[in-house]
Amino acid sequence: MASTVIGAGITIEGEISADEEIVVQGTVRGKLDAREGVIVEAGGTVEADITSGPLTVAGNVTGNISSSDRVDLQSGARVIGNVKATRITIADGAQFKGNVDMDV
Amino acid sequence: MAIAQTRTSSATSRHAGSSTHGGQAVIGAGTRIRGRVTGDGDVTVHGNVEGEVNLRGELFIAEGGRVVSDVNAESLRIAGALQGDVTATGDVAILAGAKVSGNVRGASVTLDDGAEMDGRLDADFVLPRELLGGIGAHDEDGPTAHR
Repeated sequence: MASTVIGAGITIEGEISADEEIVVQGTVRGKLDAREGVIVEAGGTVEADITSGPLTVAGNVTGNISSSDRVDLQSGARVIGNVKATRITIADGAQFKGNVDMDV
Repeated sequence: MAIAQTRTSSATSRHAGSSTHGGQAVIGAGTRIRGRVTGDGDVTVHGNVEGEVNLRGELFIAEGGRVVSDVNAESLRIAGALQGDVTATGDVAILAGAKVSGNVRGASVTLDDGAEMDGRLDADFVLPRELLGGIGAHDEDGPTAHR
């Protein structure tokens, strides 16, 4: 159970910072900073740079991603931007355009 | 009979407002938003919102929640802190423990015992006919106009 949910039909333009998990079913534009993690569900849209813990994407993300943990792009995800993470998975059916930067 | 009619209409409109849009958002206690919150659906704020809120739905500011922003919404329930002007097409409820600083306009406004309020309250209401004598005397269809 996440403590912050941006429901479908809701749009936030600006800066979100949270020390809890954020679930996006609606739209976020601007900047997203959530150290406990972000889940972008199918139908959710993020047009923002994301700084987060673990990130799971099944919706749309346009922006650069910097995760202190893992990034999972699930089937149906559409991500345009560079991804920096310690671990990354890109599922069959996910669309991704950008660079991957992992500490090796 | 007039009273019964208005009651049913307000009950159906409230039902449509809160459930048909489906969208629902919760801003958790550890979350801070600086910017604009817009859309169809109900929003519950346990955390911090600064900027602008524009909703077709209900805004609920829970205890501990803080909103520094002008608010446009269908209805509002406030148990936390709100700094800014409020315009609601429906009901505004300022609950016990709430701290509101700003002007509040709604179809109806309720202020609970224990709520703090600093600003102007602006709600439409029907004046009793005897008080309308001076104001609406020139108006021919007076008796029906303020039904």
